[in-house]
Amino acid sequence: MNDKTTWEFGTRQVVYGAIGAALYGVFSWATNIFPLPAAGNISFRPAVAVLIFFGVAYGPWVGLLAGLIGNTIGDALTGWGLYWNWSVGSGLMGMIPGLIMASLNDFKARPEILKAVGWGTLGIVVGMLFASLTEMFTGGIDLNTALVGYFTPAVIGNFIVTAILLPILMIAFAGVAARRGR
Amino acid sequence: MLVTWKYRPRNTFIQRLDPRTRFIFMACIILAFSIPEIWDYRIILPLLLLSLTLYLMARIEWKDVRRALLYIFILVFLIVGLNGLLSGRGGPSSVLDPSSPVLFTLPIVPAWDWIVPVTVSKVWFAISQIGRMLTMALLAIPIPYTIDPNIYGTAFKQMGASDKVAFTIDLAFRFFPTFARDLTITVDAQRARGYEMDKLKGGLVAKIRKLAPLIIPVTMQSTVTGEEVIDAMDLRAFGTAQRTWLKVLKYAPRDYYMLGLGVTIFIACCVLKWGFGIGDFFVPDFFTRALVG
Repeated sequence: MNDKTTWEFGTRQVVYGAIGAALYGVFSWATNIFPLPAAGNISFRPAVAVLIFFGVAYGPWVGLLAGLIGNTIGDALTGWGLYWNWSVGSGLMGMIPGLIMASLNDFKARPEILKAVGWGTLGIVVGMLFASLTEMFTGGIDLNTALVGYFTPAVIGNFIVTAILLPILMIAFAGVAARRGR
Repeated sequence: MLVTWKYRPRNTFIQRLDPRTRFIFMACIILAFSIPEIWDYRIILPLLLLSLTLYLMARIEWKDVRRALLYIFILVFLIVGLNGLLSGRGGPSSVLDPSSPVLFTLPIVPAWDWIVPVTVSKVWFAISQIGRMLTMALLAIPIPYTIDPNIYGTAFKQMGASDKVAFTIDLAFRFFPTFARDLTITVDAQRARGYEMDKLKGGLVAKIRKLAPLIIPVTMQSTVTGEEVIDAMDLRAFGTAQRTWLKVLKYAPRDYYMLGLGVTIFIACCVLKWGFGIGDFFVPDFFTRALVG
């Protein structure tokens, strides 16, 4: 499925980083058109599952670039401006699951899917924690608001979406990769 | 379902600025507030007026920016402003000054004795916080409307990013309309098969699962497209040597003025705070008199 070199940054990473970013932007934008039900200020972004999938399938650089650039594109398309800390947080969310790329061999195997979901969850926690805490400096909010108002809803929403869609993406990818032969 | 960039060419001073100038200027303002922790209205107000002036100079049509502004105002006023008003946290400890006159008390949960006193200090803090956030937001909002998506890659390359990172940015902007079109085609194809996206039934999990017929085909097709692009780039020896870029950005005198202004604001905020002790939070007398007489 890939060359299994975790930190390589070549043509493959450039292209899939760009594809991941564009898909993250497209699906973020599309979710605004077909909104999912949300409780309180929890929003569900199916794009997060795609971002984590790109990290898992193509490595940390792809996950980082896809999140960083994809979030910027998504914000740009909706016209919300540029919020660097949320883009970096999204980048971390894609990069951390990418660290296990080299250890995954069979995307259809249940243990490997569970491992990917586990690392994806870690990525969500770290990425959203970074974004929420830096909001204290850029937005002047306090720790309580950062954790309760920003971090917790973001983690819950992103985790639910990842737990449901990431396994489907991995199984579909295993089929495509087997047919393609690389 | 049409995907359009918010960018429109306009003959304005803001759009004549080099995109690098815009990014660096915004960074200077954010750092000027964040590093020396400026909460003094005498500094926040002029910077807010400067941001507002630059925003108005961008001449973005109201119909284009209406939704984005509404979202940001709700975020800033309700979440940040109300938090400042009720808790007074998120800023310097002087906001919670016990000697500040109490305007009224809010019984949040009276049974638990959770009664929040709203003081003059908290009200002024909420106003200051809103001012700080709006200053930064007004600089960020015009970016997607006023910077050509085709020059983000060039801009980041000339700001010091590597060829590969800059090319990733450039390629992402080029892929975006293609994947948006793929999504549109997939939506139409699934609708033809009876998929009702407007009436997704079931619980939350079922609803998210039902998005799979839209997300999976587009994502998998993109991975196949990726292999073709990689082959094409490898055949052209991408990454083996330094690249040249079709578009080259050059700073004009106006860019140097703006960069100078941004750096001056940042240095001035640092000097005022650490050299003269100006910039801390305080409630001006006129505000206290206006509220409590």
